[in-house]
Amino acid sequence: MSPIFMSLLLIVGLAIFGRTMYYKIQLLMALEPADRFNNIQGRLKNLIVIAIGQKRLVGRKKEWASGIMHAFIFWGFCVLIIRSLNLYGEGFVTGFELPLLGQSSILGYLYIALKDIMELIVLLMVIYAIYRRAVVKPERLHNTWEAYFVLGMIGVLMISDLVYDGARFNLITTYGNPDHLHFFNNSQYGSEFIWTPVSVMAGKLVSGMSFEGTKTLIPFMFWVHIITQLTFLNFLPLGKHFHVITSLPNVFLKSLDYPHEKTKVLDLEDESVWEDESLGINHIHQLNWKQGLDLYTCTECGRCKEVCPTYTTDKPLNLKDFNDTLKAELYDNAERIITRKQMAATLTDDEEKNEEIKAKMLELNSEKSLIGEVIEEDTLWACTTCRACEQVCPVTIEHVPRIMAMRQGQTLMAEAYPKELNVALKGLERNGNPWGIGYDKRADWAEGLNVKTMAEDSNVDYLLWVGCAGSFDDRTKKVSEALVKILQKADISFAILGKEEKCTGDFARRVGNEMMYQMMAEENIGTLNNYNVKKIITACPHCLNTLKHEYPQMGGNYEVIHHAEFIDQLVNSGKIILNKSLEGTLTYHDPCYLGRYNSVYDQPRSILNAISKDGLKELDRNGQESFCCGAGGGRMWMEETIGKRINIERSEEIINKQADNVAVGCPFCLTMIEDGMKELEKDEQIKTQDIAELVANNMA
Amino acid sequence: MKILATAKKVVDVELTIRVDGGAIVEDGLQYVINAWDENAVEASVQLKENNGAQTTLVSIGGTDNTDMIRKCYAMGIDDGIHIDDPALEKADSFVFANVLQKVYENGEYDLVITGKQAQDTDSGQTGIILAENLGIACVSNVISIDVIDDANIKVSRLGDAGTEILEVALPAVVTVSDSINEPRLPAMRGIMMAKKKKIQTMDLAGLGTSYEDVGGSALKSEVAEYMESETRQAGQKFEGDAAEITAKVVDLLANEAKVL
Repeated sequence: MSPIFMSLLLIVGLAIFGRTMYYKIQLLMALEPADRFNNIQGRLKNLIVIAIGQKRLVGRKKEWASGIMHAFIFWGFCVLIIRSLNLYGEGFVTGFELPLLGQSSILGYLYIALKDIMELIVLLMVIYAIYRRAVVKPERLHNTWEAYFVLGMIGVLMISDLVYDGARFNLITTYGNPDHLHFFNNSQYGSEFIWTPVSVMAGKLVSGMSFEGTKTLIPFMFWVHIITQLTFLNFLPLGKHFHVITSLPNVFLKSLDYPHEKTKVLDLEDESVWEDESLGINHIHQLNWKQGLDLYTCTECGRCKEVCPTYTTDKPLNLKDFNDTLKAELYDNAERIITRKQMAATLTDDEEKNEEIKAKMLELNSEKSLIGEVIEEDTLWACTTCRACEQVCPVTIEHVPRIMAMRQGQTLMAEAYPKELNVALKGLERNGNPWGIGYDKRADWAEGLNVKTMAEDSNVDYLLWVGCAGSFDDRTKKVSEALVKILQKADISFAILGKEEKCTGDFARRVGNEMMYQMMAEENIGTLNNYNVKKIITACPHCLNTLKHEYPQMGGNYEVIHHAEFIDQLVNSGKIILNKSLEGTLTYHDPCYLGRYNSVYDQPRSILNAISKDGLKELDRNGQESFCCGAGGGRMWMEETIGKRINIERSEEIINKQADNVAVGCPFCLTMIEDGMKELEKDEQIKTQDIAELVANNMA
Repeated sequence: MKILATAKKVVDVELTIRVDGGAIVEDGLQYVINAWDENAVEASVQLKENNGAQTTLVSIGGTDNTDMIRKCYAMGIDDGIHIDDPALEKADSFVFANVLQKVYENGEYDLVITGKQAQDTDSGQTGIILAENLGIACVSNVISIDVIDDANIKVSRLGDAGTEILEVALPAVVTVSDSINEPRLPAMRGIMMAKKKKIQTMDLAGLGTSYEDVGGSALKSEVAEYMESETRQAGQKFEGDAAEITAKVVDLLANEAKVL
């Protein structure tokens, strides 16, 4: 078309884009380190399934239509990126063809056909997207001019390219191609225009134009397309549409820890971390670079808040805004962060000099304290760590590890955690349980049940990890009793730790008290390793998660199984025979730490289906999108004073299903749901029971 | 203002305490700071934070008291004195008060804050005897302390008729109730920093006295024997028809409990 104009556009467009990206990357590199380049194979798998496959968009039944809409726009982009290269080439050389995609190859023809239909599909999807934003207005979406502007640009890109091809068609076929325009015309595959019906249709729309008009329309559409595209490229990094560029890397670089980046085992003995105030996150520069990339990538789609048990019950935690606020704070402090990093690089062995540098670095901390001034305290402490947000995030943003690191900063460095936790923390410190009941009473529940302790006989196949609730909470003790009944019925060789067991430290860690967590973990791992424990059964998903995923960080490696999984195995092997004897409607509340944290969804359902006469009736929010009971993340030990109580919201959902029985698999859920039923005066009609209790009452 | 707070290490009352042959079975027991003393430490630290007081903690007991003193450091106490003398094992409130008197006299304190009693003995005497020994004012069961000036404080106490507000000239001893405050947990950073902090540890000789001088040779009271406390029997629950239950309960009250 015009090599000079093309060069000029590309140089300006790419130079501005390069400068923006350089700055964005420089900022990321000034953040804390994170190792995200291991296991390339696993990363590629995520990239293909989650990003390219658009799993969380098309795979979500609740919003399949918008999922498909987005997926086609995305796939359209993937296809059209090749077309763009072709057009850039055309800008320099008339009749430019990409290798393998020229008119001599069937691939070239297949590509133009695909591109042709994709442009139509993308255009339709854009129209649907605009309709959805303007008319349907889903609650989770935040309508901005930016969204319409970008949709508009995408529309212009599609139309300009289609009209460009359409006008070419008109000039070539209607006017006999006087300018000898290049087009695919291979004797074997025929003319290009047989393969591009959409472009031909677009041609028909502008067929009323004169020869001169058509001749002008071609370069006009060409340059509109190129200029729009380069504007689009430079506009993306400025707002939420940065995700168009960052979401593929963000998914590729997501943590491969299960189920998200594990909390680091902090070295609390290192004095410098206390002096440098480097524990947890209290300032924006303490985010790691991947957490920064998460902020760049947030698409503001609002799925996270829509599924969040706190947002939906009117708590101040709105994860979309949370991301937005952090992103603004990151950008506001970009200069400081980068300078700070440059200073850190000059630290040497010279202690005196280092003091000076460190003092300057301290001055470069963000002016606002992250919690209190940027993020409200109530916002931070509202989170139940249920992971519903992470499960639905299409670009795999890890919200929970970030919240936990901020809580660490508050608890360890700032001593600014909710003081109502003190009672439970003190109980943990003194007696190894949040109730603070004497540790010597831990095995009292098992009296008369003929249960051995490891101290009496450690030559057993399984350790039954009872947990604090199962040991001390009157209601949950019944679950422990039921589980013992099942294990004894199946003739399983097991023992408990009795008074040697302590809280796993789950709740302490979730509220940022790494010190208490490490104290609990060290003692428990010492005890477990001393008895050479290999296999653990537990009825508490929080214990399960900590024992299974977090103790290995500190040298505790065990095969840990939740009782629902174990009972399912016993049923499958015929050691336990279930009776289909449970009357009334039965439903199941998935515990977060069993489902979303440990992917145990099927086994409880298989058991419950086997005992219920009518079969299991699912709640509306179930499985991966189950709704939290409100007690995770240390919330069990805090009052819920803002908004509607989460357990009430969930209990109402259960009541609305007209259930007679609700099964749970977690002591916290048991307490919360049962309390909800009592408050709603439905506890007489709807029985809340653990899976173990239901099995014990319905086995042969 | 210089404050002397006291802390006693007591058995964790959450545990079941067993007695064998008149003595407490030590096996399996653990020891913690006396809850009321924890309130005393908290009150001292609050006066430090709000009024710039200087805080010293004194604790009498064996080597394992150092852990407790360090936790008090982590709560905000400035200095710790540990009186570790095996002779004091059987000491009573009088002896402890005499030892504390020596500590007080060595340090020129303005205010002594103690828990109103200890969870193990529940005597509630030490602070009061100390004040008596020193001939200074004593207010017990205190629920708030406010500084008026360098020489006067205003305290509230729970008395028979309700809350009493008193102005007290310093020096004085106050013994605090658990409703005075919610003790904080030791700060994490404080716990780490407290590891290095020094504790002044001394025996009675180091304190400039002797077991005889503090009244050890003529104890005014001695524990002769411990007895296990009776555990309450579980109650009975009756369910079903009201008339039947009434008849049954009346029968039990008349014939089994023999109260009717």
